[in-house]
Amino acid sequence: MPSVKVTIDGTQIEADSKRTIIEAAREHGIKIPHFCWHPKLSVSGNCRMCLVEIEKMPKLAIACSTQVAEGMVVHTKNDRVVHARNAVMEFFLINHPLDCPICDEAGECKLQDYTYKYSTGYSRFDEDKVHKPKRIQIGPHVMFDAERCILCSRCIRFCDEIAGVHQLQFIQRGDHTELTTFPGEKLDNPYSMNVVDICPVGALTNADFRFKARVWEMSFTDTICQGCARGCNIEVGVRNNEILRLTPRRNDDVNSSWMCDHGRLDTFKFVNAENRIKAPMIRKDGVLVEVGWDEAIARVASELKSFKKSEIAALGSPFATNEDNYVFQRFAKEVLGTKNIDFARHSHEGDEDAILIRADKSPNSTGAAEVGVVPGDNGMSFNAIIEGIREGKIKALYALEDDLAALPGVAEALSKLEFFVVHAANDSATLRYADIVFAAATYAEKNGTMVNFEQRVQRVRPAVTTLELDRAMDGFEMSRWDKFASHNDKWGKGPRRDARSSWKIVASIAALMGTKFKYNTADEVFNEIAQRVESFRGLSYLKVGTKGTPLKAKTAASVHA
Amino acid sequence: MSLEKSTIIRKKDLSLLERLYIPEIVKGMTLTIRQMFTPTFTTQYPEERFQPPASFRGRPVLVEEHGVERCVACGLCSRVCPALAIEVQAGETELGKERYPEKFEINMIRCIFCGFCEEVCPEEAIIMSQEYELAFTNPQDALFGKDKLLVPIEKVQTRLDFLRSNR
Amino acid sequence: MNIIEPLIKIALVLLINLTTVAYLVYAERRVSAFIQNRVGPNRVGPMGLLQPVADIVKLFFKEDIVPTAANKFVHSLAPLISLIVALSTFAVIPFGNTIHLFGHDFKLMIADVNVGLLYLLALSSLGVYGITLSGWSSNNKYSLLGGLRSSAQMISYELSMGLSIIGVLMISSSLQLDKIVVHQGNYLMGFIPKWNIFLQPLGCITFVVAYFAETNRLPFDLPEAEPELVGGYHTEYSGMKFGLFFLAEYANMITASAVITTLYLGGWQFPFIENFGFSPLAVSLLQVAAFGVKIALVLLFFIIVRWTIPRFRYDQLMNIGWKVMLPLAILNIIITGFFILL
Repeated sequence: MPSVKVTIDGTQIEADSKRTIIEAAREHGIKIPHFCWHPKLSVSGNCRMCLVEIEKMPKLAIACSTQVAEGMVVHTKNDRVVHARNAVMEFFLINHPLDCPICDEAGECKLQDYTYKYSTGYSRFDEDKVHKPKRIQIGPHVMFDAERCILCSRCIRFCDEIAGVHQLQFIQRGDHTELTTFPGEKLDNPYSMNVVDICPVGALTNADFRFKARVWEMSFTDTICQGCARGCNIEVGVRNNEILRLTPRRNDDVNSSWMCDHGRLDTFKFVNAENRIKAPMIRKDGVLVEVGWDEAIARVASELKSFKKSEIAALGSPFATNEDNYVFQRFAKEVLGTKNIDFARHSHEGDEDAILIRADKSPNSTGAAEVGVVPGDNGMSFNAIIEGIREGKIKALYALEDDLAALPGVAEALSKLEFFVVHAANDSATLRYADIVFAAATYAEKNGTMVNFEQRVQRVRPAVTTLELDRAMDGFEMSRWDKFASHNDKWGKGPRRDARSSWKIVASIAALMGTKFKYNTADEVFNEIAQRVESFRGLSYLKVGTKGTPLKAKTAASVHA
Repeated sequence: MSLEKSTIIRKKDLSLLERLYIPEIVKGMTLTIRQMFTPTFTTQYPEERFQPPASFRGRPVLVEEHGVERCVACGLCSRVCPALAIEVQAGETELGKERYPEKFEINMIRCIFCGFCEEVCPEEAIIMSQEYELAFTNPQDALFGKDKLLVPIEKVQTRLDFLRSNR
Repeated sequence: MNIIEPLIKIALVLLINLTTVAYLVYAERRVSAFIQNRVGPNRVGPMGLLQPVADIVKLFFKEDIVPTAANKFVHSLAPLISLIVALSTFAVIPFGNTIHLFGHDFKLMIADVNVGLLYLLALSSLGVYGITLSGWSSNNKYSLLGGLRSSAQMISYELSMGLSIIGVLMISSSLQLDKIVVHQGNYLMGFIPKWNIFLQPLGCITFVVAYFAETNRLPFDLPEAEPELVGGYHTEYSGMKFGLFFLAEYANMITASAVITTLYLGGWQFPFIENFGFSPLAVSLLQVAAFGVKIALVLLFFIIVRWTIPRFRYDQLMNIGWKVMLPLAILNIIITGFFILL
């Protein structure tokens, strides 16, 4: 790769000759303001915000489409550039409505930020602004406000280049230009909501999150999406202990800058849902009754002892973290002594695409297998276990959080069990067959790791507090409200459930059955995984970091059983 | 400040009369006695009430115009409030303003009457009224919802005029 | 020996004294309010006249707290000492000339002690015990400091107070307060009442200042200086025990006014009353009234001083006591002696 020497604002940098000025500057930490340019989209060059002065060029040039060349001297902050930027900003603001108070983008709006940074601060425009339609449902999940649009065309390019469908288009001319879909069509591709993220203003907004909260009221926690085996990196926006929205986080090794609408909309609502399991439950006289943790744990320990080892089966979960599955398989193998251990697969063949969406709808099936939730020698696999239950060979089943009854033919088998323990976060059909239910923490309520289909370990971080966690003490992200709420403030008190991480529940049962697992925190469990599981060797939460890291070596353990 | 510099400064050039002290006491007492016969400033509160000037910052209220609040629930008051007294939850309305406060609650125990909310409001929707009689026997009573905060525009016109004239 | 007569006098004096104390508090609050352009207590009863009653009822209903580490006996005893001493000083104060009623002569004083002046000095010094003991028994640093200050202040000012009185003694050649008052009945140059204040201006000033210090009134209220000592000696007192201290302070004020009146302002003397030709009984009653008016004026003086002059610093207090007051009191004796010799 031929590299060239370029001077930007007096600093000499070395850059690949294929780079544009804006890219080269960005790589070296120099920020050039821009609206239409996006690192993941083609260059359009229509916003003129990235104008810079290049010596020996008669006019200012746009940094996003000018390639670097040997000996180029670029100025991004001199008077000429500032003057030009002021002019560009003034043009943008001529027809932009004063909607900030009612605009969901306010607080994370590029136009707003740049107005503060690069505009003159007042308007010379006395005439009437151009009025365009507002409050249009442009797609099932996206609201559109034509007045706010600054015509950068990022959304059009996203649909064309990333989603692969040409759904958006500009019509009309000049300051009457308007974004629209084709007549009778909607912005309804499975990635449609990414246009909300890339829209530099509030023209395209999230219909689901509409008016729910101002962005500055939320805390944002880096974690990963639970929608499929891709494990898209996301940020969880939480206010008052309630998840309000998910947004993608850039990770070029996993999801680029995008996520699908399914992941964005359907993978957080169950955390806030009404049907959350609020406490451990025991079936008494045919009804599940809420009991204390100690009672439920003691009950499970004593019941499990009454079965023969070969009569017990254990099902881990591809929705649980590696830590949960690891402690669970140790418990099954060392405490219960069973070899019948496996987990259910949730592969929807055909429901996948070449962009992000995977057929495997569980986030951690690779990890579950990696940490040892696989049948022992001559042990039963998942299908064999279900068959065994039907035939009466398996009498007791212990399952981590997974809606087993939703799988074809499984519900009928579960009804034949003598003893069925299940961890669950929400009420589901499976609970109808359960004798004991433990309230499990969701992915948003615990620390842990998951492995995506490409063998990449990624962190799950808690964003919502349970009774056993405390926002300040347990290192959560804190919003201003979280920091300053006192005990008598209503807004400091979102609902907190009495749920625990599965590995903690399993460890307490093991302790009662005579085997003490010496873990206090999830990272202690992970450290043990890193010592004992070959593919995790040498890893730690620190090394996994915010963007994850690939597993060391691929082991024989197959992902698809 | 160093210890040397902080030593007590005494006036050395007192006249003999001042040094005698007694005449100074007499002077002081003359003053106090004279004060006894000047009119009092006291307002006899429950009977006489202080009518605050327009610049007075009483409890914050929401302006109600044409039967609806001006507020669009932008949350700026809530953000700027140094005491975190304001809680706003926006909702969608069919009106042109699109957005309205589904819930607008001021915790009057937290409120410090700084007037920042009024200053930051882009809609002139929250303003400081002239009401100052705020006492509660129960913390719950101090949570003012929209029912208590909404005030017809006619009642706060003086404050609005004052704000306009001092912009 | 007639026992009924002193008992009636005691009851009468106590009643009047305590009522005055109650209304003195009210007066002080009203006067201070007017000085500060306020109104003062005006809610309880007409013009707030029932305020003292409300205050006392409130004090009675308050919880009486005795600190765990306190010496409980002394802690309870101290306020009593203060009050009893303050009230019993009044025993030797003549509040009127001998009155002729129902064929008997009544001396308008409870006990005609022949060393009345010494008794007075002795009791006023005893008063400091109440304060010192309360400071010590509370087992609180602030209280203790207040108590210590009180005793130090007493020692410093007792001296000049005693020496100031010597001037009066030299003139009237008697320790009997009755005689001292009678001695002030004549006129100087025919038109000035022969009150000791005119004969002993310097002694009067030193005596008044010293007596202010004795009663712990501002500007000499260092034993309870709030900025430094919280409440001083009564920090650990609440309820009616605190009320007793409060009573004692104001009873002391009345006693002080009575003593100052007796020694320097002609006591019950009503100047020029003999010129109007009233009946002897009326004269006697008017003299009692004159005594009352004089006390009231001195009390007003006390109050106005309190709301005018700021508190002394401790070093200033000691400086004035030893370097100013004492030499002045001695000077007064010398001058008096000089004039008597003339």
